[in-house]
Amino acid sequence: MKKILSLVLAAATCAGLLAGCGSGGGSESSAPQSSAAPASEASSEAGGTESGGELNIFTWDGYFPQDVLDGYTEQFGVKINMSNFESNEEMLTKLEAANAGDYDVIVASDYIIDIMRRKGGLLKELDKEKIPNFKNIDPNFQSQFYDPENLYTVPYGPGTPLIVYDPSLVNVDIKGYNDLWNPELKDSVVIMDDARNVIGITLKTMGKSFNETDPAVLDEAKAKLMELKPNIRTLAMNNLQDVILSGEASVGYMFTAQVVMALQANPELKVVYPEEGMGFGIDNLIVPLNAPHEDNAFSFINYILEPEVGAKVSSQIMYLCPNKESAPYLPEEYKNNAALYIPSDVLGNTEFIQDVGEATELYDKIWTEFKQQ
Amino acid sequence: MKKVKNYNWALVLPIYAFTILFVLIPLIYIVVLSLLRKDILWGVTNEFTLQNYRKMFDPVYLRTFADSLGLAFGTTVITVLMGYPFGYFMAKLAPKRRAFVMLLVVVPFWTNALVRIYGWMIILRAKGVLNHLLMSLGLIDTPLKILYTYGAVLLGMVYSLLPFMILPVYTSVEKMDWSLVEAARDLGANAAQAFLTVTLKLTLPGVLSGFVLVFVPSIGLFFISDLLGGGKIMLVGNLIKNQLMQARDWPFGAALSVVMMIMTFAIIFLYRKLTHSSDLEEFF
Amino acid sequence: MKRKKFHPSSLYLCAVLLLMYLPVVMVVIYSFNASKSDVQWAGFTLGWYQKMIHNESLMDALRNSLVLGVSSCAISAVIGTVGAVGLAQSDFKTKGLLENVAMLPIMIPEIILGMVFLAFFSFLGLPFGMITLIIAHTAFCIPYIFIVVKGRLAGIDRSIGEAARDLGASEMRMFFDITLPLIAPAILSGSLLAFAMSLDDVVISFFVTGAQTNTLPIKIYSQIKLGVSPEINALCTVMLALTFLLILLSGALTKTKKGKPIKPTISKEANQ
Repeated sequence: MKKILSLVLAAATCAGLLAGCGSGGGSESSAPQSSAAPASEASSEAGGTESGGELNIFTWDGYFPQDVLDGYTEQFGVKINMSNFESNEEMLTKLEAANAGDYDVIVASDYIIDIMRRKGGLLKELDKEKIPNFKNIDPNFQSQFYDPENLYTVPYGPGTPLIVYDPSLVNVDIKGYNDLWNPELKDSVVIMDDARNVIGITLKTMGKSFNETDPAVLDEAKAKLMELKPNIRTLAMNNLQDVILSGEASVGYMFTAQVVMALQANPELKVVYPEEGMGFGIDNLIVPLNAPHEDNAFSFINYILEPEVGAKVSSQIMYLCPNKESAPYLPEEYKNNAALYIPSDVLGNTEFIQDVGEATELYDKIWTEFKQQ
Repeated sequence: MKKVKNYNWALVLPIYAFTILFVLIPLIYIVVLSLLRKDILWGVTNEFTLQNYRKMFDPVYLRTFADSLGLAFGTTVITVLMGYPFGYFMAKLAPKRRAFVMLLVVVPFWTNALVRIYGWMIILRAKGVLNHLLMSLGLIDTPLKILYTYGAVLLGMVYSLLPFMILPVYTSVEKMDWSLVEAARDLGANAAQAFLTVTLKLTLPGVLSGFVLVFVPSIGLFFISDLLGGGKIMLVGNLIKNQLMQARDWPFGAALSVVMMIMTFAIIFLYRKLTHSSDLEEFF
Repeated sequence: MKRKKFHPSSLYLCAVLLLMYLPVVMVVIYSFNASKSDVQWAGFTLGWYQKMIHNESLMDALRNSLVLGVSSCAISAVIGTVGAVGLAQSDFKTKGLLENVAMLPIMIPEIILGMVFLAFFSFLGLPFGMITLIIAHTAFCIPYIFIVVKGRLAGIDRSIGEAARDLGASEMRMFFDITLPLIAPAILSGSLLAFAMSLDDVVISFFVTGAQTNTLPIKIYSQIKLGVSPEINALCTVMLALTFLLILLSGALTKTKKGKPIKPTISKEANQ
């Protein structure tokens, strides 16, 4: 939409050039020149389908530490090409059009992998002979709904959204989601801009599941959610920690990495494991069915599962560590972080957010209404 | 002349080809998509339905349209009030300075739009630059909550769209026949009267042009309400994005896009009727 | 006109301009901030600039974006200009329709345009990469150049061309000697704009790019998981500085050319 505006900008520059001096661009006729060079470069790039010394990774930016990537390249002589997406949905749209090819390793979230598995024809079964380190995976993060038999996935970034607050600004003793409704927190809560998570915690306060589909229950949840509105300072997807650190809000419900960053910047902040039960999510490594460099994909996954490498990854991307052999290599700072080292008896009763089928539409409607002022 | 015509065919061929391939086909695609039923799991089915358009009449979604139009209207009014004097004064500068000011107006648009909005967040937040300034001046004791309000969104919208009011106003003032104003003055009108009866009337096409250029995009800009409004203001642009990227309901997103495009056309049609001009880019 | 003395209206102009530059200045200032988050000021540093230069994937993305911007901008400048000139001299029945349709891509939401391109290219079996990026960017850049050039052509007095032809100038010569210099500023400004649009596009680029070509905006927007890095602030500052440099340079260039006798009079006529 903003494009229509830019036309006017063009007009402006045009007028500016004219007004500035009548003889403006006499020599500009040579503008269209360098069109041939990039085309040839592109064709050489496009031809890289045969298995060779390359690996195409598809993920969010910054989700693999640079030293880990460099380490792999050094050891195996494989050139890594990184490309990025902003959301799981974008990734799947893209992968379908590429006929489940083009990419070798993708990092994606649990629910989208579930959809991919149910759709069929998108995921490649992992060749565990080529991934001897598969045994290093902590079974707590395996056999989940999206891959019950552990055929397609290797857990990479498990995390649980948590409540974090600034005790110097909050007089409420926050124990769970329900405390976010406390009238004392008027206009001071920051929460992720995501329908399923926010409606999910509302359902949790009612003793229901994150994945409720009963319209009557969802209607009740809607009524309750509307009561949360006066407390909401802002909804956001990125840099939620900054909202707390800048004093804009005093309580937040946010994703693991954001909680960790908030704690690193201000150790005085308090982390809450919500008593109603925590949500949980795992981003996994997967290999698409028609990956062009399959062997490199498996060797890369195997490399990531090395105990030392796994420790490097988890401590830098700030998610829980799914590698049970990595413990000795994890830095103290990581182990002392309340958002990362969650007592297992607390972590026990977590729940994944899963696809709710028909009810998706209801969730969207509730969310649209909630976000209207 | 006949020879010239044949020659022209070759000239316009590429643009015809590109237009058909990349404009008409997408257009057909959107309309077809908006008539399909969504697949529960992912994507769409082959079944045709009008459900996606019917769904729009749900009060919740109608409200989104109403909110969008309201904000668009507010934005337009403020940009007129701010942009008209700017365009007017700019047109009266000496040519050299005029070109310089024009460039100054345009240059910020060559930086990333998202990053510029981050700039506003730095200024507006509770411990931000503005609150620091106000507090050190002793005007306030506790920081004002400016960020994540309706006002902040309005500011962001006005900020992003102001140039599109300034430029058409500037063009129409620059083109204006000043002898008419002088005539009015000679006939005894004072400066204010001359402005109201002559200048304003002659520059009205510029204002209307600016109106369209500000109003139309302000329905669709979504990242401003996400970032400055704290996601608490739902506009049609946000709704479309949510359908495609969160609710996985492509057909509804396409239907919303179709309606938004029809609204855009209606506004441009109205503009043409009002100004009797054949093209929006009349002021170029 | 002689230079006027200070006028109160300048004050208003300055105030509004100040408002326009405030957020940009903030980005520049915070690119020197030692803290990783832009929440508080933690002292002056050039570290982000250093990091930016040594960030290979960022520089790769920047290079891709520049190549893409320049080539798609150049191709669409040719197609758009040639098309506008061709249409201006013709009276095809579909002319009006085309002119209206050409405006459309500007109104279609980007995300849908991106999805269509994706479906279309995969239907054609084109490998995703720099080629598909250039085609898609060319497609959405053409309208800008076409419309701006068309507007400029409409302002040109046809009689100039006819006079030239009467004097025996060939079609080709007429285009290069008369039309092109007249519409050059329009082509330039249209291209500059198209370049800026190409450099800022995330959504369409995402859908049509391949596994080995990241562009800068895609990189910026996909930092959602781990937060936006201040290196981006540094990069924006550098790009802003380059823009200003370019403007100053073109200003200096036009100044040296000022002596040319004919053109100013023609463009003055054309300006009406």
